[in-house]
Amino acid sequence: MGDVRNKTFVVTRFDPDRDEAPRTQRYQVPVQPDWKVLDALNYIKDEIDGTLSHRWSCRMAVCGSCGMSVNGEPRLTCKDALDQYGDTVEIGPLANFPVIRDLVIEMEGFLEKLKSVKPWIIRAKEKAVEEGPLNQSPEQLEEFRKFSMCINCMLCYAACPVVANEPDFLGPAAIALGHRYNLDSRDEGAAERNEIFRGEGTVFSCSYANECTEVCPKHVEPAAAVNQAKLNVLIDWAKGLVLPRGGAQ
Amino acid sequence: MKHLLLRIEPVVWFLFGQGIMIGTMLLTGWVLVLGLAIPLGLVSPDALAYERAYGLGSHPIGRLLLAALIALPLWKGAHHLRHLSIDFGGLSRDVVVAPILYGIATLGSLAAIVAVIRL
Amino acid sequence: MSTARPAHPQVMQPSRPGPTRTAPPMRPARMPLRGPYLTHSLFGATGLIYLLLGLLALEIVWALGSGEEAWNRVRENFQHPLYIGFHTLAFASILFVGVRFFRLFPPAQPPRIGPAKPPPPGVLMAMLYAAWIGVAGVLALILAGRIF
Repeated sequence: MGDVRNKTFVVTRFDPDRDEAPRTQRYQVPVQPDWKVLDALNYIKDEIDGTLSHRWSCRMAVCGSCGMSVNGEPRLTCKDALDQYGDTVEIGPLANFPVIRDLVIEMEGFLEKLKSVKPWIIRAKEKAVEEGPLNQSPEQLEEFRKFSMCINCMLCYAACPVVANEPDFLGPAAIALGHRYNLDSRDEGAAERNEIFRGEGTVFSCSYANECTEVCPKHVEPAAAVNQAKLNVLIDWAKGLVLPRGGAQ
Repeated sequence: MKHLLLRIEPVVWFLFGQGIMIGTMLLTGWVLVLGLAIPLGLVSPDALAYERAYGLGSHPIGRLLLAALIALPLWKGAHHLRHLSIDFGGLSRDVVVAPILYGIATLGSLAAIVAVIRL
Repeated sequence: MSTARPAHPQVMQPSRPGPTRTAPPMRPARMPLRGPYLTHSLFGATGLIYLLLGLLALEIVWALGSGEEAWNRVRENFQHPLYIGFHTLAFASILFVGVRFFRLFPPAQPPRIGPAKPPPPGVLMAMLYAAWIGVAGVLALILAGRIF
């Protein structure tokens, strides 16, 4: 069976129908040595308090559903082993997001930012089916592959100091996604996306705190994407001063 | 104002980047000698007696380096302070803070050009 | 989380409100002065040092262009304890900025600019440090009267 240890979980609760503001509730949980944080939460919901609401799904760090604040830091609770924590663990909803209930945050604002960067292949003229596929070499794929690995878990938004202060900022995942398409050899929409990158949600709001990269569970390195995007936007802007505009408009 | 700030951002970011890169490289030797070694007596102040200092500074390369050493750190400073202000919850005052900081950097850069021309 | 403070109230809000009332977004608990955010805030705060260094350099160069008397007068200020104290702090700040920036520089290079690829990160860092030491060394030797 292994060493079962009792840990105290201080969990943020919020019921919009009953609570003025979020509060905390303490639970004693007999923790198994191989448990992740999510196992404790599911134990609480199954055995102690069925009213606790939290998102989770795959249990293997690929769906991005279970992001929460654990001792003040954004973590994937299905990935986070409990034995690295002491006897008391604080669990709350992700920082920088409105809270719908308990540990469940409003993600619609995030989805809107994702959509705003036009995350699809843009072509000046669609290639006819008869002409065959858009080929891409492994070297070309490698240029953007890591930026395509995002699971939309939003930990990067919960860690970003700029997101905390600037509502219009596109944010790490959205910019990384747009940059992923800008780097894709099949795409011809960089000029369009760079206009968005210079708009209200400007990539230049990023102050390279690098926390997004530090917390990303899939090693996407969003800070690298954002700062590469700044350079590309600058080059585009400079080219625009000197050369007439052309290409996929 | 917000729209103007968005439009100039690529240039400001470029100057800020050069401020960190070139500014840091130039300032290291400058601060080491002018800021520390000479005042602490580790280097003789005669090294920068007027004739020698003027000869170095008024050389074309000297003028360029001095202008860069003045102007580029101003842009690094202005940009970082602006973001620090926003970090501490200052988004609403950014429309005032940013023009003041970038204004100082602009005027300082112009003054730098005048300063090296009049050498 | 007990120490967390509110984020800007509009942060991550959807363009249309959802069906239920939401609690407002809270900043990361360790913002702005704990853990990695302290390093980040200090990095931003060096902006003040750089601004002052730039303005001080302007005063020095202006004095150089105003004749020998003005130049000697400005050099007398070099002895002031405040001047030395400021430059001690400034030197530490410059080193901090350089080291942090050089660490963040390689990931920020796009995979390609046109046909040109950047050097691998290790090589790039070595080049940056070589340039830093080279430029700082040469300028220091010039200012100290050792060369030229």
